[in-house]
Amino acid sequence: MLTLGIDIGSASSKAVIMGDGKELVATAVVQAGTGTSGPKRVTAEIFERSGVLPEQISATIATGYGRYGVDMADGQISEITCHAKGVHFLFPAARTILDIGGQDAKAISINENGRVLSFFMNEKCAAGTGRFLEVMARILEIPLSEMGDWDRKSEHPAVVSSTCTVFAESEVISQLSNGARREDVIRGVHNSVISRAMALLYRTHMEPAFVFTGGVAQNSGVVDSLRRELRQEVLVSPQAQLTGAIGAALLAQEKADQKGV
Amino acid sequence: MKRSVNEIIEKLMAVAANPGQAVKEACAKSGKQAVGIVAPYGPEEIAYAAGCLPVGLWGGQVELKRVRAYLPAFACSIMQSVVELAAAGTYDELSAVVIPAPCDTLKCIGQKWKGKCPAIHFTHPMNRKLDCANDYLTFEYQTIRTKLEAILGRKITDEALADAVLFYNHYRAVMREFTLVARDHLATISPTVRHSILKASYFMDKAEYTKDIEDLIYALRRAGPENWNGKRVVLTGITFEPRELLEILEFYHVAVTGDDIAQESRQFRTDAPYHKSPLQSLAAQWQNQQGCSLAFDPFKSRVHDLVDLVRATQADGLVVGLMKFCDPEEYDVPILMEAFEKAGIPLLCIEVDQQTTAFEQIKTRLQGFVEAL
Repeated sequence: MLTLGIDIGSASSKAVIMGDGKELVATAVVQAGTGTSGPKRVTAEIFERSGVLPEQISATIATGYGRYGVDMADGQISEITCHAKGVHFLFPAARTILDIGGQDAKAISINENGRVLSFFMNEKCAAGTGRFLEVMARILEIPLSEMGDWDRKSEHPAVVSSTCTVFAESEVISQLSNGARREDVIRGVHNSVISRAMALLYRTHMEPAFVFTGGVAQNSGVVDSLRRELRQEVLVSPQAQLTGAIGAALLAQEKADQKGV
Repeated sequence: MKRSVNEIIEKLMAVAANPGQAVKEACAKSGKQAVGIVAPYGPEEIAYAAGCLPVGLWGGQVELKRVRAYLPAFACSIMQSVVELAAAGTYDELSAVVIPAPCDTLKCIGQKWKGKCPAIHFTHPMNRKLDCANDYLTFEYQTIRTKLEAILGRKITDEALADAVLFYNHYRAVMREFTLVARDHLATISPTVRHSILKASYFMDKAEYTKDIEDLIYALRRAGPENWNGKRVVLTGITFEPRELLEILEFYHVAVTGDDIAQESRQFRTDAPYHKSPLQSLAAQWQNQQGCSLAFDPFKSRVHDLVDLVRATQADGLVVGLMKFCDPEEYDVPILMEAFEKAGIPLLCIEVDQQTTAFEQIKTRLQGFVEAL
């Protein structure tokens, strides 16, 4: 049985086809989120890439900010529940999740069955989110995908405010104009994201294993900063950005099973 | 002839949706002058005894422009709206406003009221359980009485005050019964309906409003209890507005079984006990008020009261509507979180901001919470 999970975030659209709730059949990511052409493109892309026909899909669950705009979905489930489900599938030992996406950061405690025990989200503010990193990458004139590599070169990390993206932006400009090295500023930016995330994590049970998901988890500099802060191993899946979509596909499987499809 | 449930609900919802119009109509109908009582607590009874229409000023969904000249961006959302509306002249038709000072922001607003109508400031005593707290607040209320008499140009007699205190005790008892009855009618008394019914009390003559609620209770009791198969929550906070917040609850099939909202149940859960003078009774009512972040309580009875309320109303969890930049409420949240975790009761905290126009993040939080229940 094939099921489809679609995660329409603020910055990107992700889709996953799973077979019998056990294997990843196909994945697709489009760097355009809700309110753009991203949702349509990601759906077209996953069918094209997998060769699967829409009528072969037994159930579809949509998640993410754009979850109510996916016409073909059989249901909508919050990204909190989907991330918990997806992380449990990828890392059954996971108990604490940090998910940082384009405009949201979430800390989630889950139990041994992948059920959400509690969760905490950032307030309406770009600080500590993927958007913050995008803004910083632009000022630093470095592609977002290379920030992790630059971070590794840092020897004297700068201190960057975690309070506000706008203030941090002017702070970074000021540091650069005072001659600070880019790699040190980048390390400071990554530490700033994690400083903000720790305020959410400290409210959870802080039980290992820790898993980092969402688009920002693809940045090794932010992951390393989290490891340093926690003084613990942090698990990151190569499918970190797809975790929500994987959870949605798994929940679609449960829905199809309940319906006896 | 007794009115139907829908008839009464429609009337009260229309009042809550159009406060300005409702106040004008109430004043025209009764010939009364309107006196504003700025949130969260004020002695409405004094204005009522003066033959006026007490009007609750709890802000609203208004675009903030003028207020930026008077308040910092981190003042609480309600007061941002109240000052904006005052500066825009919305309250100019009021004969007076009474402004309490239970927090720093209100203390400052009292000092620089931007409306054209006269403002009467007063302060609640912090150490409420001391005997002298009654003397102090009685004196404050006496000052309000004297100032209001001067503004209105008429006396507020002891008899009128005694009548008002007794009538408000009756009104409060009726409201408490309504919340009990509403608990067995969660389909009809949905979160938005419940809130609108309670909110309408601020913009109508209390006698007419109380009669409406009595008729509603009668009609609901006659109709018998309803089944509810959705989730059930208790709400706590200063207010639970804008309306979209409640619509999200309804979207996820969540009912409100009880509340500890300052704009709602906190207004009518404590009666004014007998004292030799009506103003002493009113002062004692504040002394007896429990479980509010703005009323000093070294024992934080709010925490246990809320756990009890969730259990007594068989709710699945508690939703804290944390008023943005309300320090007293923010200090209570970690205490509530710890207590509810110990009690094994799910708790969700969402930010309440009257100026919010995008609700997607709150929708995600509420859906995630409901899915985890």
